[in-house]
Amino acid sequence: MGKTVGIDLGTTNSLVAYVDPATRRPKCIPGPNGSTLCPSVVSLDADGSILVGEPARRRLLRQPERTIYSVKRLMGRGPADVTEELKIFPFRIDPSNENVIRVRLGDRVFTPPEISAFILRELKNWAEHYFGETVDKAVITVPAYFNDAQRQATKDAGRLAGLDVLRLVNEPTAAALAYGLHEEQRGLVAVYDFGGGTFDISVLKLISTSDGDIYQVLSTSGDTHLGGDDIDNEMQRAIACEIRAQLGIEVTTQSASAQELRKALIAAKHQLSELDRAEFRFELPGGNIFSRTITREEIEKWAAPIVARTMVPVKQALADAHMKPDRMEEVVLVGGSTRMPLVRRAVEEYFGRKPHTELNPDEVVALGAAVQANILETGVRDMLLLDVTPLSLGIETMGGVVAKIIPRNSTIPASAQEMFTTGVENQTGIDIHVLQGERELAKDCRSLARFQLKVAPGPPGLARVEVKFLIDANGILQVAARDLRTGEHSSVEVQPSYGISDTEIERMLEESIEFAEQDFTERQLIEAREEAEIVLRATEKSLINPEVEISAEERRTIDAAVAAMRQSIAGRDYKLIRTRLDELNAATIALAERIMNRALSSALEGKQLENV
Amino acid sequence: MSAVSTPTKSARACWSCGAVVDSAHFCVACKKIQPLDPGKDYFALFGLPRKLRIDSADLEKRFHQLSWKLHPDNFIRTSEKERELSLALSSELNDAYRALREPLSRVEYLLAQAGMRKEGAHKQQAPPELLEEVFELNESLDELREARAAGGDASHTSGVRKKLEAAAKDFEAKLAGVDAELDCIAGEWDAALDACADEPAQKALMGKMNEVLNRRSYIRNLVNKVNEELAA
Repeated sequence: MGKTVGIDLGTTNSLVAYVDPATRRPKCIPGPNGSTLCPSVVSLDADGSILVGEPARRRLLRQPERTIYSVKRLMGRGPADVTEELKIFPFRIDPSNENVIRVRLGDRVFTPPEISAFILRELKNWAEHYFGETVDKAVITVPAYFNDAQRQATKDAGRLAGLDVLRLVNEPTAAALAYGLHEEQRGLVAVYDFGGGTFDISVLKLISTSDGDIYQVLSTSGDTHLGGDDIDNEMQRAIACEIRAQLGIEVTTQSASAQELRKALIAAKHQLSELDRAEFRFELPGGNIFSRTITREEIEKWAAPIVARTMVPVKQALADAHMKPDRMEEVVLVGGSTRMPLVRRAVEEYFGRKPHTELNPDEVVALGAAVQANILETGVRDMLLLDVTPLSLGIETMGGVVAKIIPRNSTIPASAQEMFTTGVENQTGIDIHVLQGERELAKDCRSLARFQLKVAPGPPGLARVEVKFLIDANGILQVAARDLRTGEHSSVEVQPSYGISDTEIERMLEESIEFAEQDFTERQLIEAREEAEIVLRATEKSLINPEVEISAEERRTIDAAVAAMRQSIAGRDYKLIRTRLDELNAATIALAERIMNRALSSALEGKQLENV
Repeated sequence: MSAVSTPTKSARACWSCGAVVDSAHFCVACKKIQPLDPGKDYFALFGLPRKLRIDSADLEKRFHQLSWKLHPDNFIRTSEKERELSLALSSELNDAYRALREPLSRVEYLLAQAGMRKEGAHKQQAPPELLEEVFELNESLDELREARAAGGDASHTSGVRKKLEAAAKDFEAKLAGVDAELDCIAGEWDAALDACADEPAQKALMGKMNEVLNRRSYIRNLVNKVNEELAA
């Protein structure tokens, strides 16, 4: 059985974390370059292989048409939803499908869950390399304000990456969990989570009970399309406008130089969180240099309307929890965008208290996910999360009006039962349209699914079908129907309005194998063989070193170990190779020491000569 | 089951080991989670009598204790059957807490369970004792709309706005009065249960509560309507 990890699948960066059994503290796992942040960027190489993270991010500039970032913005959405996004983001959407978004990378197309799966698979590899063990289960975080389709898409991505997704946890809740462990805090907590592409606010109550700590979410609100990205867009728009006005050069969204500009502006934004002014230099297509100073005042002017927009959900969440801002005993900041002094000031002013920033805002969500993953993996529960559904669930009734059946901020799992009957003679089906949202009319809410209940023909009103709508602990809808006359449970084919159908997922699973990196044992085998080759070469070199003596006895032992080593390399058992490697090292250690001493003493001799 | 009888304690057999399960959510013998007892209402789920005055701290404590036992987190590594049962039970628990947490929804639930929650046949009709005030309010609303339609500026409408604001406040106060009235009947209901009052007596109390709920929702709608017009 493989290990379980916690994953923060972010708009800008993704992270993987686990709970260290020795310290019982959560910890982020570093990737090959030592950083715990994996840029959420995916690039398709010309040879058909997939690059993820930093290597893909570097290609953003050189090969933008083969590279994608911020794919989280497309998760669980339909092509019609993203027209606004396309004006600003260089997503190349394949126009041939009207229901499912497909993104073009080079000569291939991928759905957003497939692209997210590449990121998840990369993090899975990081963790497997770190543990030396398979990882096959995960807790993945999602923005609290994600709807059913966005959650389903995230779960699909996990499945495509070969992970059993034990739970989707809301990002602010995960952050509260990490802070709870860190601060031992109790009482009412507001979590303000302003990330790269999404904004969430959650109000929680932390309660100590005799069973353990309960983290009960009282309310949550947010905007799944509001983040640091928007500040970048605003800066990019303003500077591109200046370049056009001053130099007559157009830096369009789709071009490589736009990516260059964006990268330079983001760097300036980061600097301006620490400094009052940043020197901005940008090489234009054609070689001209555009340079100017950007002040903190300027960036705050660009960012202010975006930061102001976060306050709308904040007020909503507090109203829903029946709370005033000053009732909060703690305020926690999460997400990279909360590094901006402007954001910190806005939050501090509103709540009238200094927010917590002790934990790294980039890591805190992944750390919380690891805590939940550990609980689900070990079954040792010292705390319990009670989260809520962010949006009301409703069904369409006469005249396109929505009847709410599960109100927003209901603790999940939550359910509602509704009775349906026929309206006309010999009707054989009842159409049901499920929606999510707060508006009165179906056309203003998010369509989740449409399905038809089959009934036996008869006079109107005779058929009676009870439908149970259930939102599970992941915030995902399940529907079951029961014919009250026959007592039969009918299966409900819920066709997601924007999601991907099960058959399509199956197809993607098959295809994903093509892109799957060699599985864990395969990679272990390759690594063990490489190490073995290195040690073998070193041993051979020392055996022919004329300056050290080797007894016949020692020689025999080493030769035997080398032979056994070679035999194991021919096989496929990486554990055996490791054992033989240890044995060979043991057989050659005395020899190696003699070579080392010899080298040292000759070096010292040389030194003494020089001194003389 | 008659409208007002208390839920019967049905002896059931454990789905897994066959032992007799009484009222708990788990089998005494094999400790496996049990399906929801169809004879149990939300009150019984919390182990409470069907009384309307509930100590909210005590209810919250029971909610947390049951959450700890029934939450799907506990069942990740069990059989599919147990996971399904946990999902069904914990969603029922959350639904129950949502219904019983607030005094108003608690009364709504009690009446609905007993088949006694009847929306007023004339939903739009004002309660007789409010007729005069409602008439005046509607006149003011018309006045405001007309002034607005005629393109009247703020100075033109400020008089009628003030009147409406005052009326809305007045009706808000009436809402508080209605809530107090409901709480009073809730006390009578609890006393009737303690005194083992007969079915007709219980039904009469439920009828009274239903009437108060209808009055309340009428006033609520009225206040919302006024606030909407004022915000327009």
